[in-house]
Amino acid sequence: MRSLFEWVDALPSSIALRESLNAYPTMLTIHVVSMCLFAGLIAYWDMRLVGLTLRKVPVSNIPTRLFPWALTGYGINLITGGLLLYSQPMRYYGNFYFWAKMVLMLIAGINMFWFHYATYKSVQAWDQGREIPMNARLAGVVSLALWAAVVVTGRMMAYSGLMPQWWNNLNIGA
Amino acid sequence: MLQSFFQWMQGLPFSAWMLEETWASPIIQCAHLVALVAFAGAVLVVDMRLLGRGLIKTPLNQLAREMDRWMIWSFVALFVTGAPQVLSTALKQYYSPFFWWKMQIVIIGLLFNFTIRRRVAFAEEGSLGHWPKVVGFLSIGMWTGVSVYARLIGLLS
Repeated sequence: MRSLFEWVDALPSSIALRESLNAYPTMLTIHVVSMCLFAGLIAYWDMRLVGLTLRKVPVSNIPTRLFPWALTGYGINLITGGLLLYSQPMRYYGNFYFWAKMVLMLIAGINMFWFHYATYKSVQAWDQGREIPMNARLAGVVSLALWAAVVVTGRMMAYSGLMPQWWNNLNIGA
Repeated sequence: MLQSFFQWMQGLPFSAWMLEETWASPIIQCAHLVALVAFAGAVLVVDMRLLGRGLIKTPLNQLAREMDRWMIWSFVALFVTGAPQVLSTALKQYYSPFFWWKMQIVIIGLLFNFTIRRRVAFAEEGSLGHWPKVVGFLSIGMWTGVSVYARLIGLLS
């Protein structure tokens, strides 16, 4: 894994992106704005599942009407995030919060697929009512917590001096 | 006068504590970002509806009323988590053009929301012609501008 990161780090295009004055601020700003689009809409979908808001809106309306926009935000987020990683791979390789964010995103994705292919199949039975099944509520709470943690770990990536001691002891970035 | 006010803010014991306490700034910045996501979602659900997108099967005024409290409370959270950051880095903010542009759009955005946007979103649908689309477009533009300038304060100041 380390050699892959080092290989990318030495690529001329990675170096060019890293040395560009405007690339980093531009990519990071688009990353934050697209995060607002994606995470903002997903948060209200999760809160609908939990029963905190939009209770008069049929549950099935939200994936149909809001997910295309949320996924557009997610796509832009992935591209800009990928470019940020591509431009400074060795900065992120040893960063605890980067790996924590990746693991959290993976778990959030698994939670989303599990919900979609298991619980959401029976949505017609609870689409209009206020009684959301416990499994759906649980998926909503887990998703809310996971995406909030993704946002937090994403911000914490800037604080390389605040990584856990046990992680520092591993000397991964050295 | 404004400069001395920012110098006074920078010199407050709270500002010094914010800078000295290792975890204070990161925790507040993370909370600010989570509040931003909540605020953006509440704004977008209504603005997309104003643009004729998103939850079009739900009446606009019903959606706007429901999202109103989320928008207000997440803005309160943004203010509560944003103010300590301004206090602790007051002079950096003072000399950053992005900070002033951000604040100008925040004030215009709030005035716009509590006057025009609210009136349009709470009105009887179909009675305002193309105005809902104009209002939705302007609202998204303004709050996007706020996010962009906010990010640039930290990156380019």
